[in-house]
Parts: sequence; structure tokens; C-alpha cells
Amino acid sequence: MFNFDWLSGVSQETAKMIFLSLYALIGLLVLLLPNEYIYEGIAKEDRHWWNNLKLWSIAVLSILASIYNHF
Amino acid sequence: MLSGIDYFIVIAYIVGMLLLGLYFKKFVNSSEDYFLGGKSLPFWAIGMSIVVSDIGALDFVGVSGQAYRYGISVGNFDWVGSVPAMLLAAFIFIPYFWRGGMYTIPEYLGRRYNQKVRTIASVTWIMFFALDLGVLFWASAVLLNVLMGWPIWISIISTAGVVGLYTYFGGITAVIMTDVVQFVIMFIGGFALVFLSLYEVGGWDSMVDKIATMGPEYRNHFDIIQPQDTKSPFPWTGILFGLTFVMANAYMIGNQSIVQRCLTAKNEWHAKASMIFGSALKMFIPILVLFPGLMAVVVHPGLADGDQALPLMIKSILPPGLVGLMFAAFFAGLMSSVDSLLNSTATLFTKDIYEPFIKKGASDKHYLKVGQITTLVLLIIGVATSPISSDFPGIYVAIQTFMSYFQGPIFSILLLGIFWKRTTEWGGLSALVIGIGFAIYLNVFKEQFFTIEDPFLYISWWSFLLGAIINVVVSLLTKKHSEEELQGLVFSSKILVKNKKL
Repeated sequence: MFNFDWLSGVSQETAKMIFLSLYALIGLLVLLLPNEYIYEGIAKEDRHWWNNLKLWSIAVLSILASIYNHF
Repeated sequence: MLSGIDYFIVIAYIVGMLLLGLYFKKFVNSSEDYFLGGKSLPFWAIGMSIVVSDIGALDFVGVSGQAYRYGISVGNFDWVGSVPAMLLAAFIFIPYFWRGGMYTIPEYLGRRYNQKVRTIASVTWIMFFALDLGVLFWASAVLLNVLMGWPIWISIISTAGVVGLYTYFGGITAVIMTDVVQFVIMFIGGFALVFLSLYEVGGWDSMVDKIATMGPEYRNHFDIIQPQDTKSPFPWTGILFGLTFVMANAYMIGNQSIVQRCLTAKNEWHAKASMIFGSALKMFIPILVLFPGLMAVVVHPGLADGDQALPLMIKSILPPGLVGLMFAAFFAGLMSSVDSLLNSTATLFTKDIYEPFIKKGASDKHYLKVGQITTLVLLIIGVATSPISSDFPGIYVAIQTFMSYFQGPIFSILLLGIFWKRTTEWGGLSALVIGIGFAIYLNVFKEQFFTIEDPFLYISWWSFLLGAIINVVVSLLTKKHSEEELQGLVFSSKILVKNKKL
């Protein structure tokens, strides 16, 4: 049990899909965050697309997913 | 091995660090300035600082060595082992800590559970940080001696002198802003080695083709996901459960030296952005520390000790000047680790031990002075105890491993503490004590329980899980906290909407 023998039937390809699904789930949760919360700390007139932290997060997760997809 | 230009670069780097660090002395007028940089720092500096303080001189060599032996799967630690945890920290935990005006993670645990949990967590961190300091000094100095022929005591004294001076006077602002320069030096030196090594092996595709023909032991070298039954320390099950779910979160959310940096941000947006920016930079780290190890498989095949991969690549690939830059990058790794340990330990001692137990209600200037003196005392202890490490060759690995065992239980109480309001002080205390005990037990008898080489990922997961179960069971059996006691300490969907109250 301590060695996760019960997951020995899961192939490397399936395992990779589990990781990619995890990134997709995190991305979805980030997208669900309210914009007001994302911009908290920035004055309303200074809020632009480039300081939208949702976009930053999605960009990072996309690069991460592409690395795992490639290797 | 060093030429004249190399010595010039290294000495210019050390003197530059000292002058830059001392410049920030003028911004320190209160304990908040010293420990939290007056809550004035920008996200980009904090993000760089988080990344560079995580990479020491020993990591350069160790990770390259592991990449030489196990291949690209070592990169999991900076990819899936950092990014999801940093996003969780950025959007859930950091805003709570930042809005609560906290200085330390144990401070949160004290407010959420009780003073005992706070003290146990803080004392454990202080002990390990203080012990780690001397060991880190010695291990890094020995490494620099082996790599560059630099005398051991010159490495220790120069690092201690420079880092000690700027950390004593400039506090965390000096730590973070010198980290920015150290980050740049580390990236320039590291990328120079990567590009020249790639040229040497004929490019990426050529390297992959050559390694693929070197035998069955290299069959999985370019598989980031390793099978469950691999003998390497990185099966996908360990990476998912131990690293992604526990160790990464414990490190990014429960480690004082990381979280304290985010608390120096000038506003909540900068605090969140620092973590996300740091996660983007983190994805480049495997290129710096892992790729040279992979390329060494082609350039220096058949090494008995993988840790020789990076030193050999430096000696055979880099021209004079760039060797000095790489040496400065190693120094940068050492300095950024030492300044983090000093400032974080001083913060933990002043805020969690001195203020509540030794002298309550003193003036702010008094606590500022205590923080500075603690920094100095720690530095002296670190330097004085460093030679002891030479009598215990495995002590560095032992300390790092034991610290990793502490992280599962501490993350379990942090996670339940913030997400489940039924968690009680006795639940948290029991989970912490029993969880750490269980991790030690699994480590002592690891040959009986585990089949992989070094099961630290599995131990983290199982000690986390037991800690969580103990916390739930004991909490349900003990008296719950009142709503007033939990105000601002437990996650509420209200934090996601427009009010600022927690």
C-alpha cells in the first residue's frame, strides 16, 4: 500500500493525462475567480488586461502543460 | 582553475553585493521595515528573490548529478512541484496572511490553533534553520574548494562577512534586492553554460539521439513521467501524491523564508503577482540546473558519480571569464540561501519567541534591535559550528531530508486550519506531533515499507495523510472554536467577492 502498488496498472500515458487534467482543472478554477479579487490592490482606473493575474496564471499553466505534453 | 579575469569578476561581484546591500540600510527605521521591508516591495523583485533563494550552490551540482543518473524527470520538482502550489499560495493563502498583517507562518498557526502549536512550529524551524546555516556554509565552501580551488575558510568568511553586514543593516529589503542581482548573475552564468554545452553536443536533437543509443539504462531519460515501478526516487505516484499534493504546497505555503517575502509586497496585487511571476521564472530553473547534467551524459559518459557531471562540464566547456561568472553564480546561490536563513530565523525568534515569552510590550525600536542582534548571533553560530560538519559527512543530506519530513504534518494543519472551521487546537497539536513522529518512524524503517531508492516523496504523503486524519478525528472529539475566535482565519467565499473583510 505504501508504494502505491494498487496504481501499478496505470500506464505512463494515462498518468500523463492525469497531470494534464490537473493543470486544466487549476486553470478552470483560476478563471472562475472574480475579477474584483484578481485586481485587489490596484485602483480601478489602472486595471488593464496586462495586470490581470488570470491571464498570467493561464499563460504559466499553458507552458507547463506543453512541457508535459512534449516529454 | 581560475584565471585573472575570473578572480576580477568574482571579487567585483562580492564587493558589489556588499555595497548594494548596505545601500538599503537607510530604509530601515522600524521592525516592520526590517522584517517586512515596510510592505513596500514590487512583485518582480519578490518573484526573483523567491526563485533564487530556492537554488543553492549545492543544488546546481546535485540536480545536474540527478539529471545525469535519472534524466529529465528531475525537472518535476521545478515544474509540477512548484507551479500549482505557487498558484494556490497566490490566490488563497498569501492574501490571508497579507491582509492579516502577519510576520510569520507560526503566527497564523498560533491564532488559528493555540500558542503551543505556534511555539512548536517556530522552535522546530529555528532549530533547523540554525543548524542548517553551519552545515550549508561548510558544504558549499567544500564544493567551491573542489570546483575552483578556493580555500574553504575564505569562502566561509567572505560569504558570512558580506551577507552578515547587509542582512544586519538592511534587513529583508537588502536580502530581496541583492537576490535580484544574484538572480541575474545566476541566469547569465547558467545559460552561458547551457548554450555552450548545447553547441558542444551538436544541438538538442543530436543529444537526444546520442543518449537514446547509449543503452537500456537511458531508455527513460527523456520521459518526464516515470512508471510506478521505477527504482528511481521519482515514480509518477510519488510526484503526484508526495510532491504535487504535499511537499510543493508545504514549501510554498508553509516555509517562512518564502512566505515572508510575499508579505513585503506593497499591496495585495503585488503579493499575489509575486508568486505567479515567481512560478513563471521557476520553469526556467530546470534548463539551468538539469540540462548540463543531461549533456554531460554525451560529453562525459560512464561517470560513477553523477555529481561530477557539472564540475566536469564547467572545466571542459567554459572559457576564462565565463568560469568566473559561473563561480559568481555559485556564490550567488550560497549568499541567497544564507541571507534567507538569517533573516527568516531572526523574524521567527523575535516575533514568535522573544516578543510573547521574553519581553512583551517593548518599543518597536527594541524589537528591531533584537532582530538585528539575532541575525548577528546566528551568523556567529553558523560560522563557528560549520567545521563540525566535516566530522559528519552525511549531515547536510540528513538535515534536508528531515526537514522534508516535517513538511507533511505542517501542511496538513495549515490546510485544514484554513479550509475547515471545525478544526480545533487539540486536533492541530495532535496532528503535528503524531505526524512528525510517524514520518520519523517511516524513515527509520524505510527498507521494510518502501521499494524505491529514496522514498521521501512517499513519506511526505503518508505523514500528511495521517496528520490530516488525526486532526479530523481529534477535532471532532474536542470543543470547537467560536465564530469570534475564527474571524479572519478560516477561508470564506467572502474573500473572493468585493469586501475586504475576511
